[in-house]
Amino acid sequence: MERTPRQEHIRNFSIIAHIDHGKSTLADRLLEATSAVAKRDMEEQLLDNMDIERERGITIKARAVRLNYTASDGEQYVLNLIDTPGHVDFNYEVSRSLNACEGALLVVDATQGIEAQTLANAYLAVDAGLEILPVINKIDLPSANIEGVRNEIEDIIGVPAEDCPAVSAKVGLNIDQVLERIITDIPAPAGDEGGPLKCLIFDSYYDSYLGVVVYVRVMQGCLHSGDRIKLMSNGKEFDVVDVGTMEAFGLKKGDCLMAGDVGYITASIKSVGDTRVGDTVTLASKPADEPLPGFQSALPMVYAGIYPADGSKYEDLRDALEKLELNDAALVFEPETSIALGFGFRCGFLGLLHMEIIEERLEREFNLDLITTAPSVIYEVKRRGGEVVRIDNPSNFPTADEIETAYEPMVKANIITPTEYVGGLMELCQDRRGVFIDMKYLDTVRVELHYDLPLNEIIYDFFDALKSRSRGYASLDYELKGYEPSKLVKLDFLLNGDQVDALSFIVHEEKAYPRARRIAEKLKDNIPRQLFEVPIQAAIGGKIIARETVKAMRKDVLAKCYGGDITRKKKLLEKQKEGKKKMRQLGSVQVSPEAFMAVLKLSDDD
Amino acid sequence: MKKLGIYIHVPFCRAKCLYCDFCSHPPRNGEKTEYVEALKRQIASYRERFCGYTADAVYFGGGTPTLLSSDQLGGILDALRASITVSEDAEITSECNPATVDRTALTKLRAAGINRLSIGAQSFNDDELCALGRLHNAANVTSTFDDARAAGFDNISLDLMYGIPRQTRDSWQATLDAAIALSPEHISAYGLRVEQGTPFGTMGDSLVLPDENLTAQMYLDATERLEQAGIYQYEISNFACRGRESRHNIKYWKCDEYVGFGVAAHSYFDGERYAAPTDIDSFVSGKFIDEQSVARVDEHEAEVEFVMLAMRLRDGLRCEEYRKRFGIDPAEKYTPRFAPYVVSGHVVADERGYRFTREGMLVSNYILSDVLDL
Repeated sequence: MERTPRQEHIRNFSIIAHIDHGKSTLADRLLEATSAVAKRDMEEQLLDNMDIERERGITIKARAVRLNYTASDGEQYVLNLIDTPGHVDFNYEVSRSLNACEGALLVVDATQGIEAQTLANAYLAVDAGLEILPVINKIDLPSANIEGVRNEIEDIIGVPAEDCPAVSAKVGLNIDQVLERIITDIPAPAGDEGGPLKCLIFDSYYDSYLGVVVYVRVMQGCLHSGDRIKLMSNGKEFDVVDVGTMEAFGLKKGDCLMAGDVGYITASIKSVGDTRVGDTVTLASKPADEPLPGFQSALPMVYAGIYPADGSKYEDLRDALEKLELNDAALVFEPETSIALGFGFRCGFLGLLHMEIIEERLEREFNLDLITTAPSVIYEVKRRGGEVVRIDNPSNFPTADEIETAYEPMVKANIITPTEYVGGLMELCQDRRGVFIDMKYLDTVRVELHYDLPLNEIIYDFFDALKSRSRGYASLDYELKGYEPSKLVKLDFLLNGDQVDALSFIVHEEKAYPRARRIAEKLKDNIPRQLFEVPIQAAIGGKIIARETVKAMRKDVLAKCYGGDITRKKKLLEKQKEGKKKMRQLGSVQVSPEAFMAVLKLSDDD
Repeated sequence: MKKLGIYIHVPFCRAKCLYCDFCSHPPRNGEKTEYVEALKRQIASYRERFCGYTADAVYFGGGTPTLLSSDQLGGILDALRASITVSEDAEITSECNPATVDRTALTKLRAAGINRLSIGAQSFNDDELCALGRLHNAANVTSTFDDARAAGFDNISLDLMYGIPRQTRDSWQATLDAAIALSPEHISAYGLRVEQGTPFGTMGDSLVLPDENLTAQMYLDATERLEQAGIYQYEISNFACRGRESRHNIKYWKCDEYVGFGVAAHSYFDGERYAAPTDIDSFVSGKFIDEQSVARVDEHEAEVEFVMLAMRLRDGLRCEEYRKRFGIDPAEKYTPRFAPYVVSGHVVADERGYRFTREGMLVSNYILSDVLDL
């Protein structure tokens, strides 16, 4: 491939790894070693900006940084490091980030060896046509088994690892070897600098001063500030304000971005919704014939109602969601009302992790207490008479006699697992109403399973169940296959005879009974006792299928006001009153936010 | 003359019981003398503020007040009389624990002016007393009671406790019967509460207590048996023969004024609630008020406290008394608030006012935290 001398001095790469194998620490050392960041300014895990990312040890959004490196051949190189998210909810974002690179460092823990995410990510990288450079990390640990891990990498992933770097990112050992190998092993980018502009968007975020900042990899052509650009998926045009590069501590303006470069664009764009990951940026005056392949618009897979625990915080919740939306093109929401919970929003997410992250950000960054309803996928119902309706909220599910056929979304699931866990995972898939398609041996120790599964069976806790049945080794990838007819019913819950709309959900007929029983039990444990017995009933249509009872409270009295200490008694009652304020009055029953949470977090083990 | 209750705290006991989170400890050498002198100084400091007041109830609480000698207790009463008029028919109570006093000591106590005795019996079952970490047995309760009668006490109260580890309904009824057999004028029946910072508070699941239904039943058993014996309930935890209700305790429930002397003692005086420090050394060195505890009771708080405390009484909140105190009828505010609990049978509302039923008393915190403007 033809490359200009400028291109010959660029390397674009990602780091991929299983969780906790030291991806972020290695990134930190690379920044330090190329003096992009002085050691004293180093903050642990620089690339993970959000608190949640640091705590969970995962990357949610892609990020990029440019490093300047003088190699042992005396030449100056530009290294663009593009970080990737690490969860199946964000697989699409990962694949776009990888497409912006020519190579990937595959970090493997010398004490743990290859694990599920190592594999899943390695395959994504291979699919993207990347050169893979294994890096064995944590060799400072006494239990490190460098040679064993080298063999594993060669046997399982099929990448030569005989002389791959063995490092300790933690203590900074052999980091220079990694940098040298990036230069020698990872191909330089190519692309015609004179051709029509094609930039791949791999990330974007909203900045209150700059508007949307778009991170791109230029695949072909050349972009200057002042150019008028066009986004190929939606045809929107913008005038470029600035282009430049991502340095360790912020953006640095430049004159132009050329084929092979990684950089940013600002163009007074107001919403990240316009700059979808995977989209292609071209010039309005001289557009490319066709966009880069692989673009998908973000498609919410999971819906849930989010309500403020304190009804008066509705406006605050709206403001917070609007702010998050600026930065998260995959988040969608619209107002909804619940009889039980008042005013709130029906929100769409990529998956359950995405949902948890949004909830956590709302609670932490905006200091909101939330009540979230059980997550649901979008169902389709063909009414008698032929009209087809989409149902993203169980409240809108028609009654049985109005339904001609109900449909639910199915996915094609691809599970990779060591052979010893195949039995357990097949059981799991069967339990989740999966339909077996085929099984392939990847080598003597690993198997690839294909199943068609209902999406509503995997959004819940499938990933956790998969991990626990395979000791964390199995990996999951899935894509939407379409809608199939299904026997769906709406399961309702009644407290003291009153139906609670926020607790309703849609479920397959076969699953209704066990789910109803388990949720009734959970409600029983989590609804605070009242002065009267509270019957809990689960019902389909008018038929009660499970029942529990919250016993009445018998005794709640402070026996003694010792020595005239009135204050103490008053404080006790004040505290009690405070607790009651958080409760929701559902008919005659007071329910704490914890009760809703408990139902939501229902898992296999319950 | 305005009437006033006086509480005097004696923070000494022979050993700390396993459930006790009151301010008490075994005295160090010379500590009792120092403390009594400090009490007298504190009492003297009120002399001017007591102008226009008469004390009609004095209460020595603890700890174990009878760990002080009758001379010391008498000395405190003398100091009190020098600061405030103590009415002739004043109720002067001292708490005492079984087996801490003999007949001679009780006779002296009576002679010193104390006319009511509150005996910390807790139980008539030796295993239960042992479980509580009490230093006496059931026989001691009876003999102390008999000694008190012989010493001339005609107004005696017994403290009983239900919800004791491994207590059964039968053993509680036996305790009630044993107490009734002594014919006391007054009985206080308290449910055991496990408090943080006590040995019981650290024992977790290893402490096996009667469950909620059983303790509720024990409470109902107590009210029933005692009333059969002519000892009537007048407050959530207190029972008395007619006319023998504790005058001092009633002041708490009716928001009457009282001044507490000694460490950790609480006062409601002159529109303020406040307490003394709990640390005996600061108290002895002359720090009589814990500044952090001082709270002016404004009209709103006074109203909340008035209702909260009145509802502890068998007679509950009396409309007439409420009108007298706040100038308005409580019905507009409280009739709708109590209404659901009237329907559920926890509250009785009539033209006289609002009061809890027995079942209502058992869950009074739940209801009050809903009804009051806290």
